[in-house]
Parts: sequence; structure tokens; C-alpha cells
Amino acid sequence: MASAATYKDRQLLAVIGDEDSVTGLLLAGIGHVTEGADAQRNFLVVDAKTETSQIEQAFQNFTQERKDIAVLLINQHIAERIRHSVDTFADPFPAVLEIPSKDHLYDPEKDSVLKRVRRLFGE
Amino acid sequence: MSGAVGREPVFPTRQSLGLMKSKLKGAETGHSLLKRKSEALTKRFREITRRIDEAKRKMGRVMQIAAFSLAEVSYAVGGDIGYQVQESAKQARFRVRAKQENVSGVFLPQFESYTQEGVNDFALTGLGKGGQQIQRCRETYARAVETLVELASLQTAFLILDEVIKVVNRRVNAIEHVIIPRTENTIKYINSELDELDREEFYRLKKVSGKKQRDNAAADAEILAARKKAEAEEAAGAVAAAEPEAAPEAADVLGEQEDNDVIF
Amino acid sequence: MEGLFFNVNGGFVEGIVRGYRNSLLTGQNYSNLTQCETIDDVKLQLGPAYGDFLASLPPNPSTSALAGKMTDKLVSEFRYLVAQSVGSTAKFLEYLTYGYMIDNIALLITGTLHERDTRELLERCHPLGWFETLPVLCVATNIEELYNSVLIETPLAPYFKGSLSHHDLDELNIEIVRNTLYKNYLEDFYNFVQTHPDFSGPTQEIMSEILQFEADRRAINITLNSFGTELSKQERRKLYPEFGNLYPEGSLMLSRAEDVEGVALAVSAVSDYKSFFDAVGLSQGGGGLGGMGGGPADGKSLEDLFYQKEMEMSKFVFTRQFTPAVVYAWMKLKEQEIRNVTWISECIAQNQKERIGNFISVF
Repeated sequence: MASAATYKDRQLLAVIGDEDSVTGLLLAGIGHVTEGADAQRNFLVVDAKTETSQIEQAFQNFTQERKDIAVLLINQHIAERIRHSVDTFADPFPAVLEIPSKDHLYDPEKDSVLKRVRRLFGE
Repeated sequence: MSGAVGREPVFPTRQSLGLMKSKLKGAETGHSLLKRKSEALTKRFREITRRIDEAKRKMGRVMQIAAFSLAEVSYAVGGDIGYQVQESAKQARFRVRAKQENVSGVFLPQFESYTQEGVNDFALTGLGKGGQQIQRCRETYARAVETLVELASLQTAFLILDEVIKVVNRRVNAIEHVIIPRTENTIKYINSELDELDREEFYRLKKVSGKKQRDNAAADAEILAARKKAEAEEAAGAVAAAEPEAAPEAADVLGEQEDNDVIF
Repeated sequence: MEGLFFNVNGGFVEGIVRGYRNSLLTGQNYSNLTQCETIDDVKLQLGPAYGDFLASLPPNPSTSALAGKMTDKLVSEFRYLVAQSVGSTAKFLEYLTYGYMIDNIALLITGTLHERDTRELLERCHPLGWFETLPVLCVATNIEELYNSVLIETPLAPYFKGSLSHHDLDELNIEIVRNTLYKNYLEDFYNFVQTHPDFSGPTQEIMSEILQFEADRRAINITLNSFGTELSKQERRKLYPEFGNLYPEGSLMLSRAEDVEGVALAVSAVSDYKSFFDAVGLSQGGGGLGGMGGGPADGKSLEDLFYQKEMEMSKFVFTRQFTPAVVYAWMKLKEQEIRNVTWISECIAQNQKERIGNFISVF
């Protein structure tokens, strides 16, 4: 099921997060802007004004359309806003990883993967 | 339970019995193999799950430290560098490479982070002030992202293994609860049918042999009767010719015999 | 003598600033703040000093929101001062805002270069760096237009002129643009306080000292931060302000420095800086930039020491009278206060209490 073609081109990390998380991760060097006229960024800054539909769209873009993303990092409190999409997305690629943000401490109870872990072991 | 699974639509012949028997044997071998595979995968899976749990907690700490180093930056720079950082991002310096690891025939991807040399979009950020903090923050975040990448591989492995284990377990269960009982049922059915046929055959043979016996007996009787008749006639001729005193007795027997002959 | 006529125009402003200075947080306040458990507690502790400005914050606000409100107070107080000032004092206050303008313009140039919607950026601009023609910058869609028709209209035009062409804006890293502008600004400001007849006396003395320090600090920081980047030595040298305690010999040595030891050697002529370098262990060569990671464990980084020095200088400004320099000092102190509070609340929010004392308090 994991044929080479599905992930050989996947080299980048993408991030959907609040300003601080994105800034930090970009400082680490994950930022990538595709060349050409329709420059696409691999990060989305979400603030109080960002519409949920925008987040949704970015999530779909990073998970479905773009084939160069290996890992998608998303702030947990933002994942909460599109919880349904995050929970339904079960493909191994790209790996969707919920990360804590500065203002929202990490809560393992909400993580969709950890939820599955718990369910499997009936804890 | 096994009664409900039915049997395969085969003609109860000896050939299909042979087929079924080999099928049962194959299913049993496959079952034990798959069972072992599933056990190996589950072992791995549990290990990964444990590590995910650990890594997720570790991530919480690492990200906290990283976020704090960003706070240091904003303290040193005395302003917001977010926008500038977002705009100066061009080429990903931090990338991942996927390689495969084979666990009992399942290919698990393993992300490996590497940095693209010579790409540095933020070298001059904080030139005026705060550059050292930014440098440190970058290192902290790079380490944090490494942890994240590690976690991502674990998570992907988790998802794939989860899927594979489900498939394998489904197969194991199918073999254990459907295919084997069904094949056994079929074999039982074929056996019973064959037994039935055997019994029928036996009965038929018995019947035939019974008939044959009766026929034989009748034929024997006839031959015997014919022989007796011939003997009697011979004897009668001899008695009539040589011993006249024995003739009336012999004539009585003959008379009776003649009546019987009519019936026959 | 200089005090004879100062109060005619500048007395009120100076009085107000001295009042503002008294509302700065003291060591006692800070130690109360460090005891706080939540941001709400911090908010409560800041109540006397900031009052209404914090009232609109939601319960448990984010640290950035808190800092934003504190900045709002600084801005409104500063605007009041501007409104009250006349003549040379007004001009002096205007100079104070140029530093923020440079940041704002750098922001807008970045936005224009990447063809972002620059209107969004206006919200991100520092309110103190706001000038009337700033929104006009958003009209420009490309760099040439921005340079030829818009930047010329800004108060910063002289800083662009002669040192940056519109090609430079396109090609140079925005950080270089920013630092070039800042260098020109510092030189201009220095020249202004040196030559303006109204400022002969305490203002000139105080501001010269402060600006020289500022110039040296920038030169040292730029040098340290440029190691390992593509910034060449010639380019680096162009970013050093051409005055200050280090200028010209120290600057020359800085421009030739290749590592931290070189910088330490270059600044060793000035005892203050030498002691900073000794304190953080950079002059021994054992530290290096990477070694800065371990720096805060044993105390302060070089930047912290510079801030500390700046704060002390600002504090001493208040021992002088008849000068608008107190406004400058007050602003620096206030900014440091905002940074301190942000730091403390950040430590509280992120549960990193062990380093909460890493702020600079001079009162």
C-alpha cells in the first residue's frame, strides 16, 4: 500500500498555525514558496479573523492537492475548529500532526491519533 | 456455529474430496502463518503506540521550550518579527526524506530530516538587534521540528500498521471462522455423501447377490430335479425290467412327481 | 543659563514626562508581578499603572494582547506630549518617531516586494511610526513606483537619498535596507542635537552620550550577527554609524573582525564594552555565537547587558533638567517596561518560572 511513488516526492513540511508557531517553524527553515506566478506557500497563519472555511481549504490543499508535503503540522486549537476533517483524514500521507501552541497547552485527549490509540487499547 | 457457514457447492466426488483436503491443509498453514504475522505486527504496533504516546508528551515539552525561545526573541528584538519571517521564507531549508523499513513484509516509511545546505532565508534577520536570540531560536525550533518529524514517522507507521493489522486480522479471522469450518463442512458433507453412496452400493450389491443366490438356488434345484428325474426314469426302467415287485412303489412316486411337474 | 528660557516652551512637557516617569513600575512592582500565577493576576497588578487601558482585555488575555494594550498607553501618552510641544522640542519628538517609521517602511517594502495586500500591513505598523503619507505607500504596486513617487514624500526621504536606489530596494535584503536607513537616521539625529542652537547644554551632552552608545551597540550587534552570513565586510562597514565611541578606529577594527575575538579586541578600547564582553565570556573565545545558548544560564547575554546599560543611562537622564532628552529616556524606559512585563507574563503563561527574573529593572 505504501508504494514508492506516493512519498518519494514528499519532502516538505507544511504548517497551519497561529502566528508564533508559524514564525518559529519558519525560523527552523521549513518555509517554502513555490516559484512561478502562482506562488504557493506551505504555511498558513491563522488568527482570530481567519475564517474556518479558509482553514478547511488550506487543510484540503495541503492534504489532497499538493503532492510534495510529507508532514502537515497543525496547531491543536486550530485542528479543533476543523475537527471533522482532521478526524476523517486517515491517509498515511501526509502525516497530520497536531502540535501545541504557545497559548494552548497540548491536550492528548483531543488528538485524533491518540484517540485512536486509546480506542484500540480500550483505555 | 460451524453449522451456519454452509459448504462449498461441489459435487461429492472423491476428486473434490481430495481437493478439499488439500485446501484445508493450505488454509491451516496460511492461518498459522498469518497469525504469526499478525502477532509480529501487533508487537511492533504496540511498541509504536507506546512510543507515540511518549513522543507526543515529549513534543509538548519541546514545543514549549521552543515557544519560549521565541518569547526570548521578541524580548530581545522588542517587536514582532513574524511578518518579516513569513515574507522572507523562500526555500525550505529543513526537509524530510522518506525511506522504508520492512516489518514482516509491510513497508513502513521512515521520515528522515535533513537540512538543505546553502539555503538560509533568515541569515540577516535581526541584524540590528536580537540576532543572537534569533539564531538560538532557530536552533531550538530546528530541534523541535526534528522531534516532530520523528513523531510524524511514528504516526504514519501507526496508521499503516493499523490498516495492515486490520487486514491481516480480518484474513486470520476469515480463515479461522469461515474458510476452515466451511472446508471441514464440505469434507464432512462429501464424506457423508460418499458413505451414503457406499451404503447404497453395498445394499445394491447385496440385493443383487441375494437375487443371484436365489437364481442360483433355483437353477440348482432344477438341475437337481432334472437329475433326479433322470435317475428315477433310469431306475424305473431298470426296476420294470429287472424287479417287477418294486414297480408299484416306484409307480406311486412317479405319479406324485408328475403332479409336481405340472405346477413347475 | 540654558534653563532661563527653556520652561517657556518646554517646561510643561518636561513636567508631564517626570510625572509619567513616576508611574513606571518599580522593583517592588516587579517582584509582585513575578509572584503572579496567571495573566489575570498580572493584569490586576498592572491595574494602578495602566488602569483603563487593560480594562477591555478579555479574561486571561494573551501576552501579545497585553503588550499591545501597554503599547497603546505609551502611544497615547506620547501623542499627548507631541500635542503639547512646540518649536525645537516638537522637532526633537518627531525625531524619536523616525526609528519606528523605519520599521514600518521596511514592513511595507517587504509587503510590496511580495505583492501582498499592503492595506493589511497598515494594521501591523507601529503606531508611533505612523505618518500622514504612510497609507499612500499602499498605493504603490511596485518598488520603482514606491521609491520614486511615494518614499520621496515621507519624512525619511533624506535617509534614502544618496545611499539607496530603487534597485537596492529590489535586490538588497530588507535587513540591509533597514539598517542603512537606521544608520542614516542615527547620524542625522546626532547631527541635529549637536548643531541645533536650542540644544546646546544638557540636551546635547545627554543625547550625544546616548546616541553614541546606540551607534556603538548597533555596530557591535551588526558585526556579531553578520558572522556566517553572506554580508561582506565592505557592506557591513557601510552599516556602521559614523560616530560614537568606537568611531573611527574601533569601527575600522570591527569591520575587519572575523570572529567574536576580533569584535572583543575592537571594542576593548572602551572600558564599558570590554567589561560586557568579559562578563559574557565572549572575549575568551570559549563562547562564540553558539555558546550564547548557554549564556543565560549564568546570567545575561550581551544584549541584556546593553539593555541594562541603556536603562541606566536613561535613568540618569532624569537627574538633569531643562531638556527634552527626558522624553527619549522615558520612552526607552517605558519600552523596556513593556518588554519586561511581556517577558514576565510569557514566563507565567508558559510555566517557565525559573527564568522569570531575567528582566531589567532600574528603579
